[in-house]
Amino acid sequence: MAELGRAALAVTLGLSLYALLAGGFAAVRGRRRLAASARNALIAAFGSTLVATAVLVTGFLRDDFSLAYVAGHSSAALPVQYKVSALWGGQEGSLLLWLLILTGYSALAVWLGRRRQRDLLVWVTPVLAGICVGFAWLLVGVSSPFAVIAAPLDGRGLNPSLQNPYMVAHPVLLYLGYVGLAVPFAFAMGSLLSGRIDERWLVATRRWTIVAWTALGIGQLLGAHWAYEEVGWGGYYAWDPVENAALMPWLAATAYLHSVMIQEKRGMLKVWNVVLVSLAFCLSLFGTFLTRSGIVSSIHSFTQSSIGPWFLGFIVVAVVFATAMIWLRLPLLRATAKLESLVSREATFLYNNLLLVALCLTILWGTSWPILSEAVRGEAVVVGRPYYDFFLRIFGLPLLLLMGIGPLVAWRRASLRSLARIFSWSVGAAVASGVVLIALGAGSSIPGLIAYTFAAFVLTTIAVEFARGTAARRALTGEAIPRAFSGLVARNRRRYGGYVVHAAIVLLAIGVAGSSAYDSVAEARLARDETLSVAGYDLTYRELTERDGANATELRAVLDVQRDGDALGTVAAGKNAYAVEQQVSNEVGIRSDLLTGEDLFVIAEQVYDDGSVQFRVFVKPLVNLIWLAGLVFLLGSLITLWPDGREQRRLVERYARAARSSRRAASAP
Amino acid sequence: MIALSVAAVLAVFLLYTSLAGGGTPSVSPGELAGRSDEVSLAGRVIGTPSGDPHAAGLRFTLQDFEGAHKRSIPVLYKGSVPDLFKPGRDVVVTGTLRNGTFVTTPGSMITKCPSKYQGAESPA
Repeated sequence: MAELGRAALAVTLGLSLYALLAGGFAAVRGRRRLAASARNALIAAFGSTLVATAVLVTGFLRDDFSLAYVAGHSSAALPVQYKVSALWGGQEGSLLLWLLILTGYSALAVWLGRRRQRDLLVWVTPVLAGICVGFAWLLVGVSSPFAVIAAPLDGRGLNPSLQNPYMVAHPVLLYLGYVGLAVPFAFAMGSLLSGRIDERWLVATRRWTIVAWTALGIGQLLGAHWAYEEVGWGGYYAWDPVENAALMPWLAATAYLHSVMIQEKRGMLKVWNVVLVSLAFCLSLFGTFLTRSGIVSSIHSFTQSSIGPWFLGFIVVAVVFATAMIWLRLPLLRATAKLESLVSREATFLYNNLLLVALCLTILWGTSWPILSEAVRGEAVVVGRPYYDFFLRIFGLPLLLLMGIGPLVAWRRASLRSLARIFSWSVGAAVASGVVLIALGAGSSIPGLIAYTFAAFVLTTIAVEFARGTAARRALTGEAIPRAFSGLVARNRRRYGGYVVHAAIVLLAIGVAGSSAYDSVAEARLARDETLSVAGYDLTYRELTERDGANATELRAVLDVQRDGDALGTVAAGKNAYAVEQQVSNEVGIRSDLLTGEDLFVIAEQVYDDGSVQFRVFVKPLVNLIWLAGLVFLLGSLITLWPDGREQRRLVERYARAARSSRRAASAP
Repeated sequence: MIALSVAAVLAVFLLYTSLAGGGTPSVSPGELAGRSDEVSLAGRVIGTPSGDPHAAGLRFTLQDFEGAHKRSIPVLYKGSVPDLFKPGRDVVVTGTLRNGTFVTTPGSMITKCPSKYQGAESPA
């Protein structure tokens, strides 16, 4: 079996190499049939990678411990769903998953675009193939998942903290996001290579970018939720280098999704967009490099490995290539319009972009500071939470406010008087909620208070937008309110889907501010029937139970919960001891209040021989809004992604127009 | 416009560094001698940890990862102990050196979690 896997990967490498060389040659010389053959080779590369993946999955399912990777990441007693997810439990398998997704995306992109974007795809194919070659080479020559050993009796098991439904979905979604950013990058580079620079690559890749961006966003939220429930330190995001590694490309992609609209509508920011799309892709490579090289110390530090330098090489190649292409095509990327006023839709998008990129770059700076300071001063200096929190507030709060302003300001030029009229509702809501919140005692945290008034401002803006649009449509068509509302959203999916995503970000901000600025914590060693009180809750430790689970011994301390005298049932916190993996893991007890979104979060830090337990208890207001934000975010993305017949027709016209004008430009002397 | 925004970002940056200072230096046990500032110490846990982290404190020894003469330093730690803490694991703690013992900031311990069970005893 291992031979089949190795052979399939070698075939993938060969096919990608062919698609790169033949595709490149075909593009330069204008050979159509050769270009089609390169395209087919890329699709076939997906097939052979699929075979290799199937071999490894089969190895896991059949407990084939002669495969070193299976022996190292699985055991006979592992539940079957974790045997499948153990595929990405380590480095070689993660790389294989990466290659599978990359070839899958590439195959889909060239297949979907085979009619309408054929002349562009001629140039996109070799770029995608080049990226595939890099990853296939790592799997064939450097870090093979099909190494064979003398089979041990049982495998070493899967890291217990990865035995969790979130860890089945989280890495896959992150990879779908990371790798997905390769597609817009390849289209942008293909467009630059072809020298016929029109807006088609933007239109062709908008959906790809949104899919990758959504997967990356949801993947990070799942990771945060996993950290919250499984790691059990009471938080969900620690500004750890590996977490930042996923956040940075997401921020760059967010900036890109916004600035793209300016180029579509007004023909501005062309260079900027190519830069952003390259930045997002390079950051996703950088993220993998950080994760896999162990160059900075991280909670996630996967074993230091030999592939770090290779990734550094990939990053250098990608950065040099992108920079060279942008530099070469600079004359063709001139804007066709100028910014007319600092108070206009374009300008607010520009501010949004600057803030997002500034946030992204400060995170990049903080994350790479240990490496940089080591090189410059000979001593690695780590920046901590205060650094990131400071910049999140400085750049994040204005971003939040802009979400409420940007969508309502007119294109080109807006008068200040019209602004005052448009924003009267939102400003009123913000001021009112500020006053109420101060009365409720939210003044204890100024950033929290600012975040909440801004959130009220944005939510009102969004609500007014929906109401105004529905009213206008009702007046026009005479439909009933629900029908007018759904018609409005269906006819303007990008716009209203975008508003829904904005609402999700507001929910996220409210949840983050609530759980970090207004949380309470208490800690005590309790003997049986002793009580700990925190933020209105009384917890009484009742009993310690022990039970044998599938592959772990589960120890639980059970507590009765009361709030203001009302019994709210019990909550259990404890530890699991995994036999094969010889590992203990904390299992926290969480009681969520679905009405207020508040969590009671109980950690059993230490269980003593006399039966007493050291407890650490958090009360986190509104934290559940963060997870709700994920659902709303997904809903908004789906609305914008939903196929739209009219939009498709508009795009077809646009392709035709762009093709005509680029032919004219090519025939001109 | 762009120059202006770059200048603004730089100004914010300088404001931050002047208010909050730089980060914490990251050192190994061997580099600790003679330092009295707050540092983050990365090393490998050796020997048998003793004591209660929620009472008088947990005592253990951290050793250099590499080098011909691996130096080690005794550490006193209070607060939450991550699941993955045990002899042989790599941990990072923040604190200061006092009279030959590294006294940590409560709750500052981070363990590095190997996603792979690889090491000396791993299958080739």
